[in-house]
Amino acid sequence: MDADSDVALDILITNVVCVFRTRCHLNLRKIALEGANVIYKRDVGKVLMKLRKPRITATIWSSGRVMCTGATSEEEAKFGARRLARSLQKLGFQVIFTDFKVVNVLAVCNMPFEIRLPEFTKNNRPHASYEPELHPAVCYRIKTLRATLQIFSTGSITVTGPNVKAVASAVEQIYPFVFESRK
Amino acid sequence: MPGGRVCAACGCSEIEVDAARGDAVCTGCGSVLEDNIIVSEVQFVENSGGGSSAVGQFVSLDGAGKTPTLGGGFHANLGKESRAQTLQNGKRQIHHLGNQLQLNQHCLDTAFNFFKMAVSKHLTRGRKMTHVIAACLYLVCRTEGTPHMLLDLSDLLQVNVYVLGKTFLLLARELCINAPAIDPCLYIPRFAHMLEFGDKNHEVSMTALRLLQRMKRDWMHTGRRPSGLCGAALLVAARMHDFRRTVKEVIRVVKVCESTLRKRLTEFEDTPTSQLTIDEFMKIDLEEECDPPSFTAGQKKLKIQQLEKALSKKLEDFEGEISSYQDEIEIELENSRPKAKGVFANFTKDDPIDDSTSSILGEEEAEDEELEAAANHLNKDFYNELHEKDRAKTDEDGKCKNGNEALVRPPALESLLGPLPTAASLGITESIKECISTKDREPGENTGDGELDLSGIDDSEIDRYILNETEAQIKAELWMKENADYLKEQKEKEARIAKEKELGIYKEHKPKKSAKKREPIQASTAGEAIEKMLEQKKISSKINYNVLRDLNSKGSNTPKKEDDSTDDSTNTKKLSRRKSIASRNIANPVNSVGKRLRPLISTQLAKKAATEEAIFPSTQAEAPDLQKPAAVLVESGPVAYNPDEEVEEEEIEDDDDHCMSALQLMGGNDYGCDMDDDDGY
Repeated sequence: MDADSDVALDILITNVVCVFRTRCHLNLRKIALEGANVIYKRDVGKVLMKLRKPRITATIWSSGRVMCTGATSEEEAKFGARRLARSLQKLGFQVIFTDFKVVNVLAVCNMPFEIRLPEFTKNNRPHASYEPELHPAVCYRIKTLRATLQIFSTGSITVTGPNVKAVASAVEQIYPFVFESRK
Repeated sequence: MPGGRVCAACGCSEIEVDAARGDAVCTGCGSVLEDNIIVSEVQFVENSGGGSSAVGQFVSLDGAGKTPTLGGGFHANLGKESRAQTLQNGKRQIHHLGNQLQLNQHCLDTAFNFFKMAVSKHLTRGRKMTHVIAACLYLVCRTEGTPHMLLDLSDLLQVNVYVLGKTFLLLARELCINAPAIDPCLYIPRFAHMLEFGDKNHEVSMTALRLLQRMKRDWMHTGRRPSGLCGAALLVAARMHDFRRTVKEVIRVVKVCESTLRKRLTEFEDTPTSQLTIDEFMKIDLEEECDPPSFTAGQKKLKIQQLEKALSKKLEDFEGEISSYQDEIEIELENSRPKAKGVFANFTKDDPIDDSTSSILGEEEAEDEELEAAANHLNKDFYNELHEKDRAKTDEDGKCKNGNEALVRPPALESLLGPLPTAASLGITESIKECISTKDREPGENTGDGELDLSGIDDSEIDRYILNETEAQIKAELWMKENADYLKEQKEKEARIAKEKELGIYKEHKPKKSAKKREPIQASTAGEAIEKMLEQKKISSKINYNVLRDLNSKGSNTPKKEDDSTDDSTNTKKLSRRKSIASRNIANPVNSVGKRLRPLISTQLAKKAATEEAIFPSTQAEAPDLQKPAAVLVESGPVAYNPDEEVEEEEIEDDDDHCMSALQLMGGNDYGCDMDDDDGY
């Protein structure tokens, strides 16, 4: 889990997506009218509420399911979700905070060297796929961790995974392979 | 002929195989082991001319099932099973597309094989057939190394490249085929040909290739579309050989944007190779390699950032000095200011001015809407006061004004964090205590009780988010304006539905519920079948089950055919009730007229319904009569008359009487009803 074992790499978490349930039906119209920081999308049936303190955007459905995006750490995501539930409570709904789950974590990492993408693809055949016509990065999927890495030729790597641990271990796993194909 | 096998029933090995009948029968117990044995003999038939030809037909490898009829054949796909149809369809489309791309037969066959693999892995489900076919073709192009781009395919099909790319990637992954990476060098001959260099085509191509290799070494090609690089290389190569090819012409051939081409050219310009003359370039190869252009751009960014940091540090130093002067001036002014009394006393503190006002404001807003108006009024006075003070100060202007402006809007968060309103003032002491205590009880477990853990949550900020009435109204108006179109549509839709309802035409488009599939009842006797079916069905209290059961037992006395038909008919809908009704009602008409029966019967049924009210003799006497016609006529009844019967069912069941009388009405006991009549229905 410790990504800084032998390599001093900075892994920056840029986005954490989480979901939770309020176990009660929410009246979107009411939220839209009384909230100062909400956008009501009636055609798709959801309300976007943006919080300032942990900078997050929450999508609220009338069934009571809420999705929060934009947090920079797992704790922050939880904090923001709780705040959101609190504000819904204030608006008058019988909110119960249940089923909190972090769904997706997006992180960015920079290698101190460039990477030869065609070579890298050849060495990592089934996991890596590279289509320069479509996207300039190599898409490397780790099935065991359910993580996807996008490796650019400049050495910058974007990782998405189900939680922060998976992301960290994905970077650790990929480091030796990328090191082989460095410039 | 001993079959060399052992009979499954009795275990004896004496099995007789009869080629003529195509059977394999055990001579011990007589059980048939095989039926319709396939024989691989060739038979010959004599032609009119005297020669002989083999009997048989050619069957295609892919096709299965019945061969198409000789006479018909309007639709080649008619009668084949779905899989064969799909494959044939796919083959046709592959050939169609492949010819447009000028692929040779071998490629097309390989593509078809890919397609077959895809179909067997169910990859065509949920995807447009055209996409899958395009992906198969592109896969072939990649593996064979033909100079076809995904862009070409998307041009032909008018489909988004990325959509095709997605399908292609999926296909390659599922089929575990590793498509070799694209080499831009592959495209050079093709583009060169399209640019029409005439005799010098080959030379220009070679120069362009060299350029490309140089670009590769200079790290310009990773992560870039190969077509862009080709375009740049060809442009330069053309100029080197005195061909005037404009950027526009090259773009049309290569299919990239003008800016992309220019960018590649500028990147190439930055490499040291660009400084060589033409002759030098053809002879010498520079040893050093360049960094990729995006890398150098990144380095530039880093440098700029560092510069900015250094600058800002210096700025901070200066700012420190300025702020110290500001403080001194402030203190001086403070001392010379007149003291305000009353409510505004606490307002005259220096730095926490913003904090205290906001906190007080917060409290008021949270507690009472009426107070809000008063607070606003008070605030206005306060602002005026502050403004006057502002003008007296010099550097404080910006800072305080901003603070004031922030007050009018929801205050800045930092200032709020100072003096927080207490739970008591907000009136939510109890709820908070509850939440905190539950948290203590189960630390870190939220899913259990679902209580909201309030630690660290600033309620005041959340309060900001709740608008008051006027604000809500304004917002509602704004939203209405914004979404006017959508609301209009909804209204029109509703109006339409209302109109239709009035006219009675309104059809509610409910999502189609697939019909419930019932398992076919498997029973050894008709009686069992009826019983099982009765269990399955919603049973009416109006049926006399005993009669039904007796019906069937009586029916078993009659010829076998009827039994079969009763079995069959038990499996059709609502038979048991039908049986009695149908048999009762339709007994005689069946016997009489042929085609006119149907209308006749419907009228009879109508008559019967009409005569419901009439009183008829007891059922008991009819029961035995019932059985006979029932037994005899069961087969014909339900088949023809189910739809009509549906409606009449309930009423009919009530009164066995009617039926009997109807039967009597129809007159006669023609029990020897012809089996032939069945065929008509």
